Amino acid sequence: MTNHWIDLKNAKVILIEGSNAAENHSMSMKWIMRAKENGAKVIHVDPRYTRTSKIADIYAQIRPGTDIAFLGAIINYILENKLYNEEFVRTHTNALYYTNEDFSFDNGVFSGYDEEEKKYATDSWSYQLNEEGTPIIGTSLDDPQCGFTKLKKFYSRYTFQVASDITGIPVETIKLIADTYVNAGPGTIMYALGMTQHTVGVQNIRSFGVLQLLLGNVGKPGTGINALRGEPNVQGSTDFALLFNYAPGYFNWPNSNQPTLEDWTKKNGTFRRRFFVNLLKAWFGENATPDNDFGYGWLPKKDANKNYSIYRIFETALDNTMKFMYIVGQNPMVTSPNLNLVHEGFCKLDMLVVNDLFMTETASFWEKPGVDPSEIKTEVIFLPAASFLEKEGTLTNSGRLVQWRYTGIKPVGKAKSDLEIFDLIYTKMRDLYKNSTDPKDEIFKRMTWEYPKENTSMADAVLKEINGYDLKTGKLATGISALKDDGSTSSGNWLYAGVYTEEGNHSMRTGNSDPSGLGVFPEFKWCWPGNIKIIYNRASADINGKPFDEKNKYIWWDAAEGRWTGYDIPDVGNINDGPDQPGGRKPFRMTGEGVGRLIANTYHDPDVTYEPLPRDVSSVPADGPLPEFYEPVESPTTNILHPNVAINPCLKYPRIEAKQPIGKKEDFPYVLCTSSIAEHWCAGSVTRNVPWLNELVKETYIEMPVKLADKLSVKNGDRVAVSSARGEIEVKVMVTHRIQPLQINGEEVTVVWMPYNWGYKGLSTAASTNLLTIDAGDPNTWIQETKACLVNIKKA
Amino acid sequence: MKINRREFVKLSGVLGVGLAITELGFDVKKIKASTKEFKLEDSKEFTSVCTFCSVGCGMICHVKDEKLINLEGDPDHVINEGSLCSKGASMSVVPNSDQRVKTPLYRAPGSDKWQEISWDEAIDKVTKKMKEVRDENWITKDSEDGKDYPANRTEAISIVGGAQNNNEECYLLAKMARALGVTYIEHQARL
Repeated sequence: MTNHWIDLKNAKVILIEGSNAAENHSMSMKWIMRAKENGAKVIHVDPRYTRTSKIADIYAQIRPGTDIAFLGAIINYILENKLYNEEFVRTHTNALYYTNEDFSFDNGVFSGYDEEEKKYATDSWSYQLNEEGTPIIGTSLDDPQCGFTKLKKFYSRYTFQVASDITGIPVETIKLIADTYVNAGPGTIMYALGMTQHTVGVQNIRSFGVLQLLLGNVGKPGTGINALRGEPNVQGSTDFALLFNYAPGYFNWPNSNQPTLEDWTKKNGTFRRRFFVNLLKAWFGENATPDNDFGYGWLPKKDANKNYSIYRIFETALDNTMKFMYIVGQNPMVTSPNLNLVHEGFCKLDMLVVNDLFMTETASFWEKPGVDPSEIKTEVIFLPAASFLEKEGTLTNSGRLVQWRYTGIKPVGKAKSDLEIFDLIYTKMRDLYKNSTDPKDEIFKRMTWEYPKENTSMADAVLKEINGYDLKTGKLATGISALKDDGSTSSGNWLYAGVYTEEGNHSMRTGNSDPSGLGVFPEFKWCWPGNIKIIYNRASADINGKPFDEKNKYIWWDAAEGRWTGYDIPDVGNINDGPDQPGGRKPFRMTGEGVGRLIANTYHDPDVTYEPLPRDVSSVPADGPLPEFYEPVESPTTNILHPNVAINPCLKYPRIEAKQPIGKKEDFPYVLCTSSIAEHWCAGSVTRNVPWLNELVKETYIEMPVKLADKLSVKNGDRVAVSSARGEIEVKVMVTHRIQPLQINGEEVTVVWMPYNWGYKGLSTAASTNLLTIDAGDPNTWIQETKACLVNIKKA
Repeated sequence: MKINRREFVKLSGVLGVGLAITELGFDVKKIKASTKEFKLEDSKEFTSVCTFCSVGCGMICHVKDEKLINLEGDPDHVINEGSLCSKGASMSVVPNSDQRVKTPLYRAPGSDKWQEISWDEAIDKVTKKMKEVRDENWITKDSEDGKDYPANRTEAISIVGGAQNNNEECYLLAKMARALGVTYIEHQARL
């Protein structure tokens, strides 16, 4: 979230798209209803009428996977009718920046496309630069060279009619939503996995970025782009980089073709090098010195050409490359798409180790109904873990709030906290290698790892390591600005610097005063970065540091005091740098240009101190600098914008032809959308073991429109066989008015919906929906397209 | 004296019965509240944060005789103000459930059952196999355009987890994975 949960109350219009917040983030409704009491309008755009739609002022049923067309039409309407916030667009975005003359978009692809590799060369997505190597900036939004002109041309294809034909939303509803959203303000956006589980997931969210930048809905109360994250600490687990492609704090994990820290810095910039040095100091302590590149050489390096995402784990198991898998608190035998492939992968492993609370389908994959365990040679070890109530430590919510959880009970039986289990495994491994002289094992001798053995003290010590130290004084680091790039400070994750200072552990704070009345609560726990509740809040003020909107002011420059001030911690480089100084000028200080990117241009920000190294290297989506609409891989219709480039041109799928078939609409005529429900959660590993919740919803089902039920001659409670190109399952029918047949490109398209929370273990068992879903993934994030695949349905 | 809502509830609980009869008259709601306080009498309290979605709702937990006897929304938590959803409100079941796995388990190749093992055995088996796989599947270099680069990794071990873990656990898991030379490190964020 750019903003946070309580801040939702400050909005005057709320767009909820690809989320059933009422069921899956129920407490967000407290703040949405508070906004409604103050006159806010709520718009809900989703494939199914849900409990969230019920509280909305406007509901639009959208065909799964077509959000870019819907948002594109609203953006085009804003551009054509000049409904944008002109001052904000001119000063706070790259609208006036000259884009490379070679940049183009034709017939469904951007300039630089390599059809064979399904990849873009991004050179032509750059700016035109002046002699100092910084972008040329124009003065008129109508200048044909500037990005804004290219943006208008790009979006001009997205008329209301085109969007209606693609999405199934009537023209008048799209217009009503556009007028409602543009005319009220501040406006905020809430989204969840309904936007990300697509082969165009990143570009879906980029569309939100373009929309909010055009309207100046950034950095102020009641604005922003707010991801409703799906797990209790998925914010933290991404912050701490349980992902192959980066390190704790979101900088890229090194590739083998970057053998030194300087090689890495050339590709990533000096700005992030500082954070990398602090991580290396946290990991290697005194062994990390400027002379040995702070231990950079000991780290494993990725092959730059390989994808190490979770799908590849199962796929490399199939060819016997992957031998050993350690899974902590996750149940991919229910939650991963294309489950038959996943199961085959598990069967090929030498060993599987699982930490969990309850027996899961993953740990007992060899007990899957219909398989013969004697043919499965995998050794499996189950390590019983303590639940969240039986251990201490912090977690980070969607609003980046870091909260300490206490305990007062012991783990059940012989269970141990994951923290203690990791310590047991690591220290034993180190012991096994203690006499080794092989260079590959040197890292065990160099890495710092001495923690108290008891759970609470261990969590406390680790949080201090994460926060970091001033290594000269031995005192805890006070914040991000205290971190140096010379090895004199350490921090295990720069974003968390300041969470635990000599004043104490801020994740335990309970101060409940809210001086501004805006829901900031500055002394309640602590949020990253630097306790800034609304990030990019410098953008709430104009180029001179004066609030854009006096009635909704948040951060401003106090010339008399010579500092930035307001209701939150100012998100500026230097609090005493005025609006004309480098540390106070940039509304978006994380980008090299310092402004919001309407077009995601490539840019190397020069660093005058470390020439020729760049200060920042912009990260651009792999599949284009602007969000273009592409059909889902399994689509019930043609792509009317460019029939020959129907799906995302950067998609490489199938990866294994024999295991990843693509269904055609002739065989599988219905669109399946999947999600979770209020009573069960994700794999159901916990909730399906809670009798109260099983009483509420005891089994899986398929929701289908009345018209389809009539056609299939089925009624509520009847059983049907649902099949896709990948599998078939049998479930009960729920006939509903909550989904209506849609008119798409002149033809009727039927959408059905299923929850995905079931499997064959636990107190409530039923077929897994993910036997049906597709494992094609977004080319940036490799998140699978579980929101849109094709199925057939027959009466069982 | 500034008292927060929770302290107010506690105070009115202690005084509840007397107040209800003498000063406030018979108030069914107050009597009910005081009954609840009796149940929690002599219990110890700790706060936690819900473990389902990412709103981060505060919870209060009550412990008596080392057993969790009550769990409810924390009225002083600024986000959920005392409320919980159906999932969060049911979490007192978890530490008390008979379904929990309480000891390490081992399933041998081809076997159709689990057998209970000790922690020492479990950690021995895990680390022995991990070391064997790491040693036998080590990649020292990558070659690109005729040049060799140190790779320093294994592609035969994968570590997956977890958005259910605390930050400190995520941090140590990432640190351990990288020490092992693992590049296949992932979790639910892609799901």
